[in-house]
Amino acid sequence: MSNSVIKGAGYILVHVPGMVMDHGTTQTTEKVVNPDSEYLKEMPSHMRSYEQALSYAPNQTYIGNLSIEDLTAMGDPWYEEGKQVEGKRYGKFGEIMPEAEFILMLQICDAFDLVRLDKDFVAATRPALEAHPLMTPAILGLLKEGVDQDDINHYVNEEHAEAITLDGKLVGYVKRAHDVDANLSAHVMFENLVAKASGVLSILHLVKNAGIDASEVDYVIDCCEEACGDMNQRGGGNFAKSEAEIAGLKNATGSDARGFCAGPAHAMVEAAALVKSGAYKNVIVVGGGCTAKLGMNGKDHVKKGLPILEDCLGGFAILVSENDGINPEINLDVLGRHTVGTGAAPQNVIQSLVTDPLAANGMTIKDVDKYSPEMQNPDITKPAGAGDVPEANYKMIAALGVKLGQLQRTEIASFVAEHGLKGYAPTQGHIPSGVPYIGYARESILEGKTKNAMIIGKGSLFLGRMTNLFDGVSFLIQKNTGKDDAPVAAAGSGKQPVIGIAASGTELGRENLEKAVALAAKKGVKAVIIDGEDCLSKMEEMLKAGEIDAAVASHYPFPIGVSTVGRVVTPAEGKEMFLANTTGTSSTDRVAAMVLNTVAGIIAAKACGNDKPTVGIANVDGARQAEIALNKLSEGGYKINFAESSRADGGAVMRGNDLLKGSADIMVIDSLTGNLMMKMFSAFTTGGSFESTGFGYGPGIGEGYSQLVLIISRASGAPVIANACAYAAELVNAGWTKIAAKEYAAANKAGLAQIIEDIKASNAKAPAAAGAAKIEAPAKEVCDADIHGVEVMDIEDAVTSLWAKGIYAESGMGCTGPVVMVNASKLDAASDVLREGGYIK
Amino acid sequence: MDLENQKRVLEFTEEYGKDNVVVILGAAEGEAASLAAETVTLGDPTFAGPLAGVSLGLAVYHVVEPAVKEEFDPAVYDEQCGMMEMVLDVDDICNEMNAIREQAAEV
Repeated sequence: MSNSVIKGAGYILVHVPGMVMDHGTTQTTEKVVNPDSEYLKEMPSHMRSYEQALSYAPNQTYIGNLSIEDLTAMGDPWYEEGKQVEGKRYGKFGEIMPEAEFILMLQICDAFDLVRLDKDFVAATRPALEAHPLMTPAILGLLKEGVDQDDINHYVNEEHAEAITLDGKLVGYVKRAHDVDANLSAHVMFENLVAKASGVLSILHLVKNAGIDASEVDYVIDCCEEACGDMNQRGGGNFAKSEAEIAGLKNATGSDARGFCAGPAHAMVEAAALVKSGAYKNVIVVGGGCTAKLGMNGKDHVKKGLPILEDCLGGFAILVSENDGINPEINLDVLGRHTVGTGAAPQNVIQSLVTDPLAANGMTIKDVDKYSPEMQNPDITKPAGAGDVPEANYKMIAALGVKLGQLQRTEIASFVAEHGLKGYAPTQGHIPSGVPYIGYARESILEGKTKNAMIIGKGSLFLGRMTNLFDGVSFLIQKNTGKDDAPVAAAGSGKQPVIGIAASGTELGRENLEKAVALAAKKGVKAVIIDGEDCLSKMEEMLKAGEIDAAVASHYPFPIGVSTVGRVVTPAEGKEMFLANTTGTSSTDRVAAMVLNTVAGIIAAKACGNDKPTVGIANVDGARQAEIALNKLSEGGYKINFAESSRADGGAVMRGNDLLKGSADIMVIDSLTGNLMMKMFSAFTTGGSFESTGFGYGPGIGEGYSQLVLIISRASGAPVIANACAYAAELVNAGWTKIAAKEYAAANKAGLAQIIEDIKASNAKAPAAAGAAKIEAPAKEVCDADIHGVEVMDIEDAVTSLWAKGIYAESGMGCTGPVVMVNASKLDAASDVLREGGYIK
Repeated sequence: MDLENQKRVLEFTEEYGKDNVVVILGAAEGEAASLAAETVTLGDPTFAGPLAGVSLGLAVYHVVEPAVKEEFDPAVYDEQCGMMEMVLDVDDICNEMNAIREQAAEV
C-alpha cells in the first residue's frame, strides 16, 4: 500500500489584544488573586498594535512570508528595535487576521444564537470581512445584523454572559448555553467558539492552498486543546465536524483527537494511517487557537520591559491525501512513540521518539535532514526562563547521538546548526508542537532542497491529573518514492499479486482464457478473467480499487508516450529477449520513439531481474540516428550496455540473424515493426492463427505512467496469456514503478529531454505557415469512442483538425495502431471531419 | 515554580520536617533553577503560590551539581542524566545554585 502524502498546509494567526486582557489565564487569575497588582496596571501599555504584530518577523515566518533561513539570519531576539519586517496580512500559508473581523467570525461560527454583537460594530466591520478573499456568500450569510448596546449591557451585567471587547469597548457577548451546566457556561462557550473559528479560518486557507475542491475532503481530525460537550459528556465532541460544516466540507465527517501538545502529531499519524488504509482519501488535520494561553508569560515580558508577545491565537490545517506520486510522503515505518514503559528521563524520551524509530529502519540521527520538535519562539520563552526550546531539543538529539556513537562530541554544535530550525511559533501549546514546519518541509522536499524531516510532538499529560506520564510521538516526512509502493519482498513472502485478464474480443474463446488461468496457477500466479463487453472499464476500476495488481488485455488505448515492451523466446538458442516496443507510441517521431523505447526496455529488463541488460538496435529505418542519440545519452551519464551483433562486422545495430539469435537482451525497434516481429516470434511454429510462445506484447511503459496493463493479441494462446500473467507478476513483485521512476530520473539527468527535442527538430516537416493561429482545445469531454485508421505521423494534426471544428478529441494508441478518441455522441461528425481532411478513408 | 509543586513541597516539609527534605532540581536553565531554589529556601519570589512569604530554608541542589552526582551509582547516573549533562550549561547552573544557597544562608 502506498504511503499517504502531504498535499498542502494552512497557517493562521489572529491578533487579539482584547482577548489577552480578558481571557488569558495569567491575567484572569491575577484579577482574582491580586486585582490591584502592578502587572495589571502596567500590562495595557505593553500591548502591541495590529501593525506591530504584523511587522514582527516570526509572525511573518509563520504565515509563509519570511523564510526560516532569513529569520535565522536576522538573529534573535526579533522584538528588538530595527528588526521589524514588512507587515503583510496575507502569506502563502495563511494570514494574520485582526481582532474585529475575528469577532464577526465568532458569530458566524455560532450555531446556537449565543454570540450577539453590537449592530454598529457589525455594520462598521462587515465590509472588511466581505472583502476577505476566502469568505464565501454562504459563510457571510451566517452573519447577523446585531443588537443594541442595552441588550449587551443587560446580558453581560445580569445574565453571566462573557463580554467581548475591542480596544476596551464592549462590542458584544457570548451568553451561557445552559443555566447550570458549567460545561456550557459563557466562558467555556467563548473558548470553544474561538477554537472553532480559528480552526475554520485555517481550513479555508488550507483548501485554497492545496487547490482541492472542498467537496473532496472526506474526513477532518481536530486536535485543538479544548473540549466541547455538556455535563453528561464533558468531552463529547465534535469540533472537527462543526468546523467542516462552516468551511463547506459537505462530504466530510470527522472526530477530535487530544493529547495535550502531542495532539497534532497523534492526529497526523492517525490521518496518514486512515489514508494509507484506504478508509478515506483526503483527511484534514486542524487545530484552532487557545485563548487561555494568551499572555501566559506576560508577567515576565512586562518585567523585562518587553511587549506582551503572546497576543496572537494560532491555527493550522494540513491535508493528508492518497499518494499522487508527487507530494512528500508520511513514512509510517518510522514512527516514534513514548510508551507507558519508556520512562520520564529526557534521555529515554529522545531515544523513544528519535533514535529508536530511526535505528529500526537502519538510520542514524544524521540521516534526517531537519528535525521539527517544539517550535516555540525563543523571544517568548527565553525571558520566561524556559530557554530556547527547539535548540534544547536539538542539543538533546545530538547528545544522545554522541552516546550512541553516531556523532562526535565536537560535532554537537554543527549538528544543531545543520539539522535544527529556529522556533517561530506562538506558544499556544499544541500549535508549536512539530507541525508548524510541515508547510515549509513540504515545499523544501518538493524543491529537492531537503530529503526528509522528522516531526516530533510532545505532551505533558500529567497536567490533566490522570497520569504522571509524559507523552510524545514522531513521524518522518520524506520525498515521494512513487505511487505504487509494491512490496519489494522476496518471492514467496508478502501478498501474492492478482492479475486480471480482459480479453473479450479473443478469437480463441473463453476456454482458452480458462486454460491460461490454470497454466498461470501452475506457475504460482493468480489470475482472474474479467468478462463482458465492458471488460476494459471494469478492468480500470479494479486496478484503481486495488482489486487486481495488474491486467492483461487484448486491447487498450494507451496515451501517446506510453508503449509496450514485448518479451519473446528467440528460436536459435531459446534465449529470452525484450522487444522494445511492440504496441503503442512512445513518440510520434520514429527515431525519438526508439530512444524512448530503449529506456522502457531497460525498465522492463531490470524489473525482470536483469541488472545490466545489453541493448541492440534493430536495423530499421532510423536505426543509425537512434544509435547516435543513444550514444549521446550514454555519454551524458545514462550508461547503456550496447550489444554486439553476431555478424562479422559487429556493432550495436542488429541484423535479422541477431533477432533470431537473441544477440541483445533488449531489441530496440519502432513499434509497428516490433508488432510485426512479435507476431512472427509468437506464431511461427503454428502457422499464424495461434500465438503459442513468448510472453505477449508486454506492459505499457512511459514516464509518469503507473497503471500496469500488459497487452496480448486476440490470437494469443493460453501459454502466451499465462506467461503474460507471470510477466505482470514479476513486474509487480519487483516494484516496477520505483524502477521506472529511477530510470527516467537518471535518463533525464543525462539530457534525455533535450536529445528527444533535437531529434524531433531535425526530423520535423516544414514548420506550419507563419502566422497560422494556434488552435486551442474545446472544453474537455469524456472520450469513449475510438476512430481508427489515422497514420501515426498525422495523429496530432487529425486531433487539431477536430478541435478547429469545435469537437474535443484526444490521441491514443490502440493495439492495431493509433486512434483518435472522441465523445461517442460526436463520433459521426468527427469521422466526417477526418474523412474530409483526408486522415481516414 | 509550578503552584502544584509548591504545594507538594510544603506538604512534604510539614509531614517530614525541614531537616528531612532535600529538593533536587532538574531545570534546564540556570535562571529557572535559581528561581526554583529561591522558592524552596526564601519563598516564592512571584508571590503567586503557597510558598509566597514562606521561607522553608530547605537543602536544594540541581541534579548536575558534582555533590549530587557523587551520590549516584555512576551507571544509573549515566543512563538517566548522562545525555542532559552534555546538553545543559552545568557551570552556569552551579553558579546560580551556589549564589542562592549563599543568599539563603545569610538570612
